[in-house]
Amino acid sequence: MNLFSPLLLRAGLRYLMHHRWQGLLALSGIALGVAVVLAVDLANSGARAAFELSVQQLQGKATHRLAVPGDLLPDEVYINLKRQPGAPPMAPVVSDWVRIKGAPGRYQLVGFDLFAEAPFRGQIAERLTAPAFISDWLTDAGGLLPGAAATRALRLVAGDRLDIVYRDQPTTLQVLQANTQQDSSGDNVLLVDIATAKTILDMQGQLSYVDLILDPDSEHWIRQHIPPGVELQTVAEQAQGVTRLSAAFELNLTAMSLLAMLVGMFLVFNAMTFSLVQRRSLFGRLRAIGVTPRELFTLILLEAVMMAMLGTLLGMLIGVWLGKGLTRLVAATVSDLYYTVSVSALQLDGTSLMFAAVLGVLATLLATLVPAWQAARTPPLTTLSRTALEQAARRGIPLWAVFGLLLLLAGLLLALVLPGGVIMSFAGLFSLVLGAAMMTPLMIRLLHRLLTTVALPGIWRMGVRDLDRHLSRLGIAVAALMVALSASVGVGVMVESMRGSVHTWLTELLCADLYVAAQGFDEGARLPETFLQEVSGLETVAAISRYRERTLPLHGRHVELIGAHLAAPSRRGFALLSSTASAWQDFDNGAVLLSEPLAYRLGLVPGASLQLPTAEGPLNVQVAAVFRDYASEHGRIFLDETVYRRYWPDQGLNTLALFARNGEVASMRRELGELAAHTALVLTPAAAILEESMAVFDRTFRVTEVLRAVSLVVAFIGVLSALMALQLERGKEYAVLRALGLTRVQLVGLISGESLLMGLLAACVAIPTGVLMAWVLIQSVQQRAFGWTMPFSVDTGLLLQTLLVGLLAAGLAAIYPAWRSASRNPAPQLRED
Amino acid sequence: MALREPQPGTATEGRLIVRKLLLLLALLLLACDAELPPNTPAVRVDQVMGAEPDPGFTRALEARPFRFPQDYGAHPEYATEWWYLTGNLQTQKGHRFGYQFTLFRVALRPGEPLQDSAWRTRQIYMGHLAISDVAAARHYSAERLSRAAAGLAGARATPFEVWLGPWSMRADSGLFPMKVSAENGDIGLSLQLLAGNKPIVLQGDRGLSRKSATPGNASYYYSFTRLPTRGELHIGDRVYSVQGDSWLDREWSSSALDSDQAGWDWFALQLEDGRDLMYYQLRTRQGGMHAFSRGTLVEKDGSVRTLLPEQVKLTPLRHWQAEGNTRYPVSWRLQVPEQGLDLEVQALLDDQLMDHSVQYWEGAVEVSGSHRGRGYLELSGYAGSP
Repeated sequence: MNLFSPLLLRAGLRYLMHHRWQGLLALSGIALGVAVVLAVDLANSGARAAFELSVQQLQGKATHRLAVPGDLLPDEVYINLKRQPGAPPMAPVVSDWVRIKGAPGRYQLVGFDLFAEAPFRGQIAERLTAPAFISDWLTDAGGLLPGAAATRALRLVAGDRLDIVYRDQPTTLQVLQANTQQDSSGDNVLLVDIATAKTILDMQGQLSYVDLILDPDSEHWIRQHIPPGVELQTVAEQAQGVTRLSAAFELNLTAMSLLAMLVGMFLVFNAMTFSLVQRRSLFGRLRAIGVTPRELFTLILLEAVMMAMLGTLLGMLIGVWLGKGLTRLVAATVSDLYYTVSVSALQLDGTSLMFAAVLGVLATLLATLVPAWQAARTPPLTTLSRTALEQAARRGIPLWAVFGLLLLLAGLLLALVLPGGVIMSFAGLFSLVLGAAMMTPLMIRLLHRLLTTVALPGIWRMGVRDLDRHLSRLGIAVAALMVALSASVGVGVMVESMRGSVHTWLTELLCADLYVAAQGFDEGARLPETFLQEVSGLETVAAISRYRERTLPLHGRHVELIGAHLAAPSRRGFALLSSTASAWQDFDNGAVLLSEPLAYRLGLVPGASLQLPTAEGPLNVQVAAVFRDYASEHGRIFLDETVYRRYWPDQGLNTLALFARNGEVASMRRELGELAAHTALVLTPAAAILEESMAVFDRTFRVTEVLRAVSLVVAFIGVLSALMALQLERGKEYAVLRALGLTRVQLVGLISGESLLMGLLAACVAIPTGVLMAWVLIQSVQQRAFGWTMPFSVDTGLLLQTLLVGLLAAGLAAIYPAWRSASRNPAPQLRED
Repeated sequence: MALREPQPGTATEGRLIVRKLLLLLALLLLACDAELPPNTPAVRVDQVMGAEPDPGFTRALEARPFRFPQDYGAHPEYATEWWYLTGNLQTQKGHRFGYQFTLFRVALRPGEPLQDSAWRTRQIYMGHLAISDVAAARHYSAERLSRAAAGLAGARATPFEVWLGPWSMRADSGLFPMKVSAENGDIGLSLQLLAGNKPIVLQGDRGLSRKSATPGNASYYYSFTRLPTRGELHIGDRVYSVQGDSWLDREWSSSALDSDQAGWDWFALQLEDGRDLMYYQLRTRQGGMHAFSRGTLVEKDGSVRTLLPEQVKLTPLRHWQAEGNTRYPVSWRLQVPEQGLDLEVQALLDDQLMDHSVQYWEGAVEVSGSHRGRGYLELSGYAGSP
């Protein structure tokens, strides 16, 4: 750089000062892009951090865990170890999920032995150290320390009584101390003494697990001292099972965050390109007075850096604000579905901030490079001609399109053909979207050609042709709108497809007339054994299916194992995707039915064999069939009841499915109602379960809906900013038009018509792109992430909706520019020339 | 006797060992949290010292006949109790060690616990283990805590056993020979204690040891003053075959100290002439010797003579300053003119501080002067005082 540069820089800044609107629009483009990415990222990491924190708080400093796979650990194992010299630090834990009467969500009741806790959970134990509580805590049957989430949700203070419900058994606990700590945000734990927990959870003589802190020596020691059947797991192995719980949800959010990022990048790109394209004439003049291309290039980059930093900073502020709301929403959904988390304050995650900052600056610079290079390279004064510019942009269109097509094809190849994980699927998805975005100008031109052939009234024709003229400026805005719309279509079609298949699957599966479960079923409440005999004796009952379930650790995840006696109609409800020749016969002989996700993950096909951990060592079973299942991404295994009871004899009956004789559902229900009068039972018709399940499904995707809306809003702002800039620039042109006799109404019509056309074109390109995205999401992302497949179905209503949204966004974006241009008096503008 | 008293300055402190212990159990949890200043417990102790002893606990009001083996075991109706072993041991080559192994029982509340779970209890056990390696000038110590339930800790009279996890004192019949074993990380001991020639010593008035004029501020207290001991100590990778003599104190009470008492200095000395001397000086807040200070001199033949404060003169000779400015008198002149005793009692190591839930100084001492001997010295109630 030579001495000339400060002057140049001033020229650049002067321009921006003079065209304040343009500077602001470019800035807002950058800011919004950064804001959306940051907000989604913050919400995502906020919910995750809250969850991880509660997991960590519970794990404390433990490195390993002793447990009996699929069962509880006898007290003696712990006590015997504890009495051996040389035993490493150990802490027994008794825990399960409970509900609080009059409050939504589930809470984890955790029983600790205070005396074993010191090396493990200092933070939790610390709360117990207030002097007055210790005696109460240890000696009272109901001493409770609620976690932060419960404290906040129920506005607890010391001395409050809390009715908790476990397996339909209520217990009253007394709050010894309210936890007002702000940092333990994900703390949905109800802490009680281990004796209290054992009583409430009916686990006398048994422990959930024992936490350990082991080094290699003591690990060796433990392995030598544990009895057979007891397993030593690392905490990492353990945590895997826990965190997988929310994988489906997280993936959803991540996908949306990445799509938002893409939209954001387009916005930045759009803003920067626009600001440069508009200044072509200024650059031409600068070149004419002797500014070298290098100087010009440096000038533009320097300006971009300043814009980038300012915009990014602004974006981060907005992002944090936006993130607050989103975090609350995400936390609410997570609480609804998985575990109660309360996010009290926004977790300002350093990585998220860093990521957003880097993205903002990098995307801006990246977006500036090409136009800066172009601007610097152009010979003096030719730049003054806009026609030349538009022509150059036009010439580039086919090239971009070819490049885009290649990207699109590469994306499809990556996601659908080549093997790989979810990351590869996402990479493919992005390549696809990017490719489609690059093809957008060409597509628009083709569509545009089509439109010009249609006979339109004069003023409309003018708008149509006009749009083509401004393609270099508007192309990117249209592409951004296209990306947002296509993401909306893609995710929408995926959700709809999934909803449809879940509905079909449930309708087939829930073929019984009535389902009977003990109250508090989701906490593991069991049906009394005598009840089964009574029900079997009913005349109206034609057939009964029985179900006993438990979770089983299998390859690092917790799968559901169901011991079932399946009546013939229940069997018909299974959608078998693949099976052995005599699947049901094999099932009766002890083979298992595997859910699709589990079979996909373990790579098992019918006929293959599988090892299930039992208290008596591994049990080898054959796979009879693989069935369609969306109930659990971790997987479900159905095993014949007789085999099941041999290995888990203590497991009570959880659910009955009843089929009425001759369709006498009502009378069967009445008879059952009389039977159930003295037992706490829940009788549910299949339709009610279906309804409830679909409601849960819809709740899961509520956040997705919001994120879809957010990305649309961003795209809308993108279009608005592009339009604004364009209309501002064309003020003189409009003045000429007005002077030539165009009325205000006509001018408004022209501007909004152009805008609507833009929306329409964007939507037209977005719809096929979105459908393609949905295809990739279902065929690649869903299967690789969860292991389930689903039929692909496109809802035309959704596509129409997208079209309308595109038009609406564009229409709304046109209102202000149109009003502004129309309300201006053309005379002064003309005089300025 | 053991246990430190808190800082002077509050009128109510010094009352309830139970409450304090219980609180300190909890504070132990804090100890592992590096962020907290080390003197936090002492500050907090004061907050609960005002509480009156729970009237539900039985109190030591009058002398009672001891019944054995029952009285080897626990007395849960009293608030606190301990099995207190100290001893001087040496290898054949003359490598000297001191050891302390104590199991404390603490009742959180009087009465029977709820019967809802095998893990429910009102009793807690705390263990202290210390080994002084005189030649290496190192003092090692450890603490352990547990609820007395589900078999994790407890006491039983027949066959005798007191245990806290892997730490235990036990015998096949009666009390001796007693097998003692405890370990913690780098240190451990495995000893056998024989009955020896000395009979049981009932301290105070037939075993009722009154600590102040207030009725009930007393304990039941008996001792075995000279128990031939042999076994193994290990420190790090080294194992030492050792022998020597131990001293067992058994004491239980519900309330021991009065408000004007600040702490005590306790001597347990085994003289070479076969006599054993126990003396505790209860210190008043003003620093003087409280009138209820007591001692016993056990003759070689086992006959016992009570020592009153006017018969004994105690003079601190030298202080050792622990971290936090607490000064412990680790060297003393102990005179009993009537018995011709003019003893100089010196710590084998200055730093034999037990800095756990409860801070006190407990260490092996060498006796010289008119008579030679060995013993243990306990200094409590100094922490926090200048």
